[in-house]
Amino acid sequence: MIELDRATKVFPGTAAPAVDALTLDVPAGEIVVLVGPSGCGKTTTLKMINRIVEPTGGTIRVDGVDVRRQEPHVLRRNIGYVIQQVGLFPHRTIARNIATVPRLLGWDADRTTARVDELMVTMGLDPDMGARYPSELSGGQRQRVGVARALAADPPVLLMDEPFGAVDPIVRGRLQGELLDLQARLRKTIVFVTHDIDEALRLGDRIAILNVGGRLEQYATPEEILREPATPFVEEFLGGERGLRRLALRTVGDLGDLGIGNCVQADATVEEAKRRAAESGERWIGILDGDRLRGWAWVSDLDGSRHAGDVDTTLFRVALSVDATLREAIDGLVRSRVGVAVVLGEDQRYEGMVTLDRLAQAIVS
Amino acid sequence: MDAVVDMLRWLLEPGTWTGPRGVLARSVEHLWISLVPLVAAMAVAIPAGVLSGHYRRGQAVGALVTNVGRAVPSLALLVFGLLLSVRVLGLGFSFWPIVFALFFLALQPLFTNSYTAVREAEPALVEAARGQGLSEREVLLEVELPVASPVIMTAVRITAVQVVATAPLGALAAGGGLGRFIIDGFGQNDDGQMLGGVVLVAVFALLVEWSVTRLERRVIPRPLQGRTDASAVAAAGRAA
Repeated sequence: MIELDRATKVFPGTAAPAVDALTLDVPAGEIVVLVGPSGCGKTTTLKMINRIVEPTGGTIRVDGVDVRRQEPHVLRRNIGYVIQQVGLFPHRTIARNIATVPRLLGWDADRTTARVDELMVTMGLDPDMGARYPSELSGGQRQRVGVARALAADPPVLLMDEPFGAVDPIVRGRLQGELLDLQARLRKTIVFVTHDIDEALRLGDRIAILNVGGRLEQYATPEEILREPATPFVEEFLGGERGLRRLALRTVGDLGDLGIGNCVQADATVEEAKRRAAESGERWIGILDGDRLRGWAWVSDLDGSRHAGDVDTTLFRVALSVDATLREAIDGLVRSRVGVAVVLGEDQRYEGMVTLDRLAQAIVS
Repeated sequence: MDAVVDMLRWLLEPGTWTGPRGVLARSVEHLWISLVPLVAAMAVAIPAGVLSGHYRRGQAVGALVTNVGRAVPSLALLVFGLLLSVRVLGLGFSFWPIVFALFFLALQPLFTNSYTAVREAEPALVEAARGQGLSEREVLLEVELPVASPVIMTAVRITAVQVVATAPLGALAAGGGLGRFIIDGFGQNDDGQMLGGVVLVAVFALLVEWSVTRLERRVIPRPLQGRTDASAVAAAGRAA
């Protein structure tokens, strides 16, 4: 979708190129993250794609067309652009800001209004906000408006230059999650610049790690980069705990069917419950009502009852969602007293249990 | 105290206000000799300043205009206007010398502030505008100019007051306007008339300031109103 072929930028008055003959293919529908230390040319590379920075050598093609064969402002109307400072127009309402590109493209008023309303819903913005001005919004809200403005004319390509760099860590985490949700639906081709390797690992389908002068050190999936850093530079840039961070790339759902675990239905007999606990090698048993988990009880407390569900149960201390990463699963296991973590799916439905054994198998494989 | 009493007596005399040499007629003249150079200077200096600010060009010319404009006394500008009107263009005394002088006086604060206001528009804002696909013309007209408008309008207000307050100098070159009363009062040893002229000029300046403030509310986009800008005041504030 986006092809950089020996793209080069030498700024006037400097001898060393900011980006030196960088070749990179960005496949359609993927998020490619450009990451590296300051001075590595990642922002320059991004800005060459929409000609905010004019390349001095090489070729850049978007959807097969050389970017230099189009007027810059025409090219840019097909490429969404989001920057860290957002750059909303302070004299215009939020709705009017979002409508920027549709108006440039000459859409009629009804179509524009409908599109603005749709985007405000998509970005989780209160529809009343449309009549307000940028100075009345919080940093996180402004950044959502910035993304909405970039998406307004439904461009196939989105360029994002450290878009979440200026908001606090909690909002940043939320915005990252929202971007991934949005991408799951829209399948844009996104080039995303950051200096934060963790952000890159979380968001990128592929990551391009750049060294000073725009030298490409490695271009691969997050999993590959963590498993096999191509150069000492990449290894150093990744920092420690590479193994644990790989676990952060996989979810509990990726483990597949977890089975019923150390559980029985409430109407099972006490004998059945004891047998199940003995098979699991545990002195406790989980009690289910259909696909709901009621809690757990000591096996020794079952004596004298007919059914497993007749005794009082205690709630499990730790429950994971199927979207939890394996890294979070390990954390859950460490925190739970019994060495298992319950996994709940949609609507709190019981999906099974993760044990240390099960996790160890997955990590080693 | 005598002078104040004389002034009140002069102001209260009906003959002071009416007739071709009365306050009303002189006020209309004052308005003309102020408005013509102000509007002309705005038409020249604001577009020039805005364009130089956008293209980051013409700093050298801008600095020259600024420094010369600041350094030359208003009286010298009047002499220059007089030479230009009488000797060069043959337009004679009274109206044109002071109009030329005030035109040159107004150029500097209008140019400097328009230039600075556009040049100092937030770079990220301008980059975002370009990135969305606005052409250079659209960036200038739809983003830079509205954002610069509070500073430009402040400059217009301060310049207008300065022009109105400097216009009485025109009476030295046989011009009309409220300055007549000051110069004639001085010449005729009529303190009442002279002081009355000073008060009328001050009132006129306040009215002009009030009018431009009303205009600002119409011209500046609402969310940007009320942003006072000290740099405009500093650049325009120059000894008359």
